[in-house]
Amino acid sequence: MKRIWAICSFEIKKTFNNRHAFITMLGLPLLFTLLFGQLLGGTSTLKVNIAFVDEDQTVISKNLHESLKDNDLFTLKEMSLEQAAKQVKDKKIIGLIQVKQGFEKAVVSNNQPKISFKHNPDFTSSSMVDQIISNAVSKAAIQAKASTVWNQYSKKPWEDMYTILNKDISSSDQIIHKVAITKNLKTEEMDNMSARSAGFSIMFVMIVMMSTTGVLLDARKTGVWYRLLSTPTARFQIICGYLLAFFLIGWIQFGLLIGSSTLLFGVHWGNLMGIFILVSALLICVIGLGLLISGFAKTTEQQGALGSIIITATCMLAGVFWPLDIVPNFMQKIAEFIPQTWAMKGFTELIARGGNVADIIAPVCVLLAFAATFLVVGMMRIRYE
Amino acid sequence: MLEVNHLRKSFGKTEVVKGVTFTVDKGEAFGLLGPNGAGKSTTISMICGLLPYDSGEIKVDGFSVKEHQMEIKRKIGVVPQDIALYPTMSAHDNLIFWGKMYGLSGKQVVKKANEVLEFVGLLDRGKDKIETFSGGMKRRINIGAALMHQPELLIMDEPTVGIDPQSRNHILETVKELNKQGMTIIYTSHYMEEVEFLCKRIGIIDHGEVIAVGTKDDLVKRLSGGTVVKMEVNHFQNRLVEELNTLPLVEKVMVNDDKTELEILVSSGHQALGELVSTAIKNFIEVSSIKVQEPNLETLFLQLTGRSLRD
Ligand SMILES: Nc1ncnc2c1ncn2[C@@H]1O[C@H](COP(=O)(O)OP(=O)(O)OP(=O)(O)O)[C@@H](O)[C@H]1O
Ligand SMILES: [Mg+2]
Repeated sequence: MKRIWAICSFEIKKTFNNRHAFITMLGLPLLFTLLFGQLLGGTSTLKVNIAFVDEDQTVISKNLHESLKDNDLFTLKEMSLEQAAKQVKDKKIIGLIQVKQGFEKAVVSNNQPKISFKHNPDFTSSSMVDQIISNAVSKAAIQAKASTVWNQYSKKPWEDMYTILNKDISSSDQIIHKVAITKNLKTEEMDNMSARSAGFSIMFVMIVMMSTTGVLLDARKTGVWYRLLSTPTARFQIICGYLLAFFLIGWIQFGLLIGSSTLLFGVHWGNLMGIFILVSALLICVIGLGLLISGFAKTTEQQGALGSIIITATCMLAGVFWPLDIVPNFMQKIAEFIPQTWAMKGFTELIARGGNVADIIAPVCVLLAFAATFLVVGMMRIRYE
Repeated sequence: MLEVNHLRKSFGKTEVVKGVTFTVDKGEAFGLLGPNGAGKSTTISMICGLLPYDSGEIKVDGFSVKEHQMEIKRKIGVVPQDIALYPTMSAHDNLIFWGKMYGLSGKQVVKKANEVLEFVGLLDRGKDKIETFSGGMKRRINIGAALMHQPELLIMDEPTVGIDPQSRNHILETVKELNKQGMTIIYTSHYMEEVEFLCKRIGIIDHGEVIAVGTKDDLVKRLSGGTVVKMEVNHFQNRLVEELNTLPLVEKVMVNDDKTELEILVSSGHQALGELVSTAIKNFIEVSSIKVQEPNLETLFLQLTGRSLRD
C-alpha cells in the first residue's frame, strides 16, 4: 500500500509540476465552454414576453393560462387580440398565444383544440414554446377526460371535478412532476451553457488523460519502467499506483472545472452524490480508453495523434460541441455507441432534470461496461519486459 | 554471491545468450567485457529477474531468481544502461522516489537521499531538475538511484557510455570506493581500461557466449605469444594488407576507418617488426610510426574472435 501511494503521489506531483498542464486542464475547456456556450443560443435565462389572448374564457382556458404562466422561457401577459397584434408589430412582445372560442368544447370532446401560437420570425425558441403549450393542452385534455367520465357516473357538472382535480394536482408537486417528466422528456434539456460546460469538461479530461496515461509509454522509453520492475515492487502495486494516480488527477481536473464553471457561468451541477458517481464512472472509462490507446501505440507521439483524432471525432458525435437534436437521425444512432453520449445523458439527468443517483444508473452502467472492456484489453497490452 | 549456470535466452528464433556461465564472489568486482550486441544487457536483465530465461539457472546468495524474485530484488541495485530517471523532477525527488520503491520509509529516505547526493558529488544540485543536468551528472544520479537501499550486489550496465573523461573518472572512483566498502559489483562495458581498472576478475562475452573468464593476468597469459603491432602509415593502399597477410608471422591485419593505422596481430612482435616495415617500404608506403603493444585484453579479444572490441 505504501508503494502504491508512493507511485501515485509521485505521479500526481509530476503532473502538476508542469505549469503548462493547467492550460489544457482548465484554461482551454473554460474558453471552449464560453465560445460554444455563447455561439449557440447564449444565455437562455433571459425570458421573453408573450401575450395570452383568451377568447374562450372558460374553466379550461383559464386553467391553461395558469399552467402556462409557470415556466422559465417566457412571461405571459393577458390582453386582447388587437393589443397583442399591435405589440408584436412594435416588437414589444415576441409573440402571442391565441385561445379561440370553442377551445373548451374541443378539449372536452377530444377534438383538435383551437389554440395557436404566432410569433416573430426571428424568435428561435418557438419550438420550445410549442412544446410547452402542447404539454399544457394535453394535460388539460387528460384532466377534462377524467372529469367527463366522472360526470357520466355522478351526473354532476364535469367542471366541479375538473376544478378539484386541478387543485389536487397543483397542491401535490409530485404528480405534476411526474406528468411533466413522462410527457415532455424532450424539453428538459440542459441549457446551452451547462451542456457545453459538461461537454468540454468531458473532452478535456479525456485529452489530459491521454497524455497522463502516456506516461506508461514514456516510462518504457526512458527506462524508468525497467528500473521500476527491478525494484521489489509487485506488478499489481505498480498498476494500482498508476491507475489511482490517473483517477485522482482526473478528479482534480474535473473538480476544478466543476468549481470554476459554477463560479464563472453559474452552472448548477445538481445532486452531489450523483455527480460523484457519474464522474467517477466516466473517469474509469476514460482511463481505460487511454490505456487501450497506449497499448496499441508504439510511441507517445503516436498515442497523442491517435488519441486526438479519436477524442475529437467521438466528442463531435456525442454532442459535446452542440446538442444532438441538431444532427441527423443516423448520427444520433451512432452516438449511442460512444461513452461520452452516455456521460452527457447522465449530466442532463442531474443538471437539467434535477435527477438523483437512481436516475443515472443506466448511463453509469453503460459507462462502466465501456470501462471494463477498455481496461481488460488495455491491461492485457501492458508489457512487463 | 552470484552463480550463473548455462543460461540461455532466445528472442524468437535468434538465440542471444548461449549457455553463459560465471560466478561472482562476495565483495568482488567482476567485469563483463563484450562488444555491442554481445548479450550483456540481456544477461543482466535475467539476473535481475526482469526477463525470464529459457534454461539454465541463476542463484543470488543461494536463492534461485525464478523462485525468490522479491528477496533477490531487495539485495540487488541495478544501474540500467539508459538513464532511468524522471527528467522533469529534481534529483532529490528522484532519489526519494526510488528509495521508497526499495521500501525505505519517510525519514530514512530523505537522509539517505542527501547521503547519496553527497557521495556522487551533486549535493549542491539536488534541487535542480534532471533535465537541466549534463550527461555526466545524469549518469551519476542514475548510479545514485541504485544505491538508495545500500544493495549487497550492484549491477552496472555500461554506466559510462557517452560521457566526458572527467565524469568517467569520477564514476570509476566512486565505484572503486563502493567496492572497497564491501559492495559486490558487476560492471559491464566495452571499455577494456575501465574493466581493468575496477575489476579483479573479468569475463569476456561475445555472441552470447563467455569465451574467457579469469583475472587480468590469467587472461593475458592465455595469449599464445601473440602481440599486436600498431603501424601508422601515410598513403594507405589495399595492396599492403594483401602483402602483409602473406608473411608467415602475421595472423591478422586490421585497418582503422580513416586508413591511417593498421593493427597487425603477429605471433611474435619484435621479430616481425623488420619484415613489416620492409613490406611497407617495398610497396612505397611511408611508415610514420610503429610500436609493439603490450599484451592486453583487447589483444586477447582480437585473438579469440578475430574482431576488435569496438569498431
Ligand atoms: N527485446 C528484444 N527482442 C529481440 N532481440 C533483442 C531484444 N533485446 C536484445 N535483443 C538482441 O539481443 C542481442 C544482445 O543484446 P544486448 O542488449 O544484450 O547486448 P549488449 O551486450 O548489452 O550490447 P550493448 O553493448 O550495445 O549494450 C542483440 O543482438 C539484440 O539485438
Ligand atoms: Mg547493453
